[in-house]
Amino acid sequence: MATRSLKLYSHAGGPNPWKVAIILNALSVPYENELMDFAVLKKEPFESINPNGRVPALEDPNTGVTVWESGACIDYLLETYDTSNKLHAKSGAQRWQEKSWAHFQTSGQGPYFGQRAWFVLYAPEPMEYCLKRYGDEIRRVIGVIDAHLKKSGKQFLCGDKATYADLMFMPWHWLLLTKPFINGEGFGKEWEEKYPVAWAWQERLEGMEAVKRAKEDRGKAMSKGH
Amino acid sequence: MSSEEPRITLYTAGTPNGQKISCTLEELGLKYKVHKLDISKNEQKEEWFLKINPNGRIPAIVDKSTGNPILLFEGTAIQLYLCATYDPEHKISFPYNSAEYWDGLAWLTWMQSGIGPMQGQANHFYRYAPTKIDYAVNRYQTETRRLYGVLDARLAEQEKAGKGLWVVGDKYSIVDLCCFSWVNWAEWAGVETKPFAALQRWLEVIQQRPAIQKGVDVPDKFEMKEAMKTKEGEEEYAKYHSNWVMQGMKEDRDKHK
Repeated sequence: MATRSLKLYSHAGGPNPWKVAIILNALSVPYENELMDFAVLKKEPFESINPNGRVPALEDPNTGVTVWESGACIDYLLETYDTSNKLHAKSGAQRWQEKSWAHFQTSGQGPYFGQRAWFVLYAPEPMEYCLKRYGDEIRRVIGVIDAHLKKSGKQFLCGDKATYADLMFMPWHWLLLTKPFINGEGFGKEWEEKYPVAWAWQERLEGMEAVKRAKEDRGKAMSKGH
Repeated sequence: MSSEEPRITLYTAGTPNGQKISCTLEELGLKYKVHKLDISKNEQKEEWFLKINPNGRIPAIVDKSTGNPILLFEGTAIQLYLCATYDPEHKISFPYNSAEYWDGLAWLTWMQSGIGPMQGQANHFYRYAPTKIDYAVNRYQTETRRLYGVLDARLAEQEKAGKGLWVVGDKYSIVDLCCFSWVNWAEWAGVETKPFAALQRWLEVIQQRPAIQKGVDVPDKFEMKEAMKTKEGEEEYAKYHSNWVMQGMKEDRDKHK
């Protein structure tokens, strides 16, 4: 049990810290959200916390552990605070399936949705080839989830119970379905029509308390101009 | 050594991510069957393979060593599984829940969400995309260099602290192997490793390991570095690889119209 609050180094707009926030919420682990400015991340003192100069990073005063990379932060939280296995399987094939999906999120969803976001928000001018490449990859990834859920007939990626692997996909969905609508304002409708099973899964997860709270907190942080 | 059929099957092709797992299996001294997927024919998107990896990519493994077959995809998940199951003495891994374990996990995740995808994009825009988009080539080569810089700084710091030239802890581990699998392809992305002194030395040391030399030649002899020595070799290698990449992209696009 965490008697002291953990510190989550975070950012308002960027989706990845909120992924960790969802898990912290779901496990009822107390934490402070330290909203960081991008400008301070690629130098000391933050670089000593995360040599890659990004958020999230997590500090746990109860154990003295510091961890960075959202996937690693989440694994650490599951090991330390999910003792009743609310969000993950302890062993067996299930445990490794969950890991496969979780790693697919960190290596296959995040970076590619992120590239689309880059070319929409930050490239000096519109670059059709790049926008299309990453827009298509967003569709492919959602298609993979849709096909998998159709085939398995289950409510969630690894069975009938939501696991951390499902929750990890959520924050990037917010960038699709709300401002800045990185795949276009019409994409929500396209997703619902073309990938209905994945759409239902997404809605199921959006309705969970831990997810709702993180989304609200992020909204508040963004409106404060962070 | 038992002469029975190996219970682990590796689904792979000659790419950094495939090599990452064949090298890991070699380092652990495990017997395994190799099933080569022909990416130029988009075999990895066939129904039978999607049952093993719904994402339709390599690597993937099936381990039938116990009653319940374990099907796994995503290189990092596979590496973690293999070490949890077959490296009880932690020859190339760290005890679960130790400080090095969490540190190692951060670096593994960093590699698979950073160097892998970003260097992969550099490859795409530098070698495969039908038109040269300088902005994109620069973006991804620069990010690859930034990531190499982070790794180089880490290695130098480790060495200075007396831990040796390894990313985590004081020994060679799957963390080094994982990062190596992509750094070993740097020239393909148009990025040099020589400007990163510690990284270059670390790279050369790992290249000498027998398990690495064996692992990179799975499923076929690793010819990229040879091909890069001449202009013709480079062009031919690029043309062949460009073909299957663009064909695969076209099929995905058509599927998701």
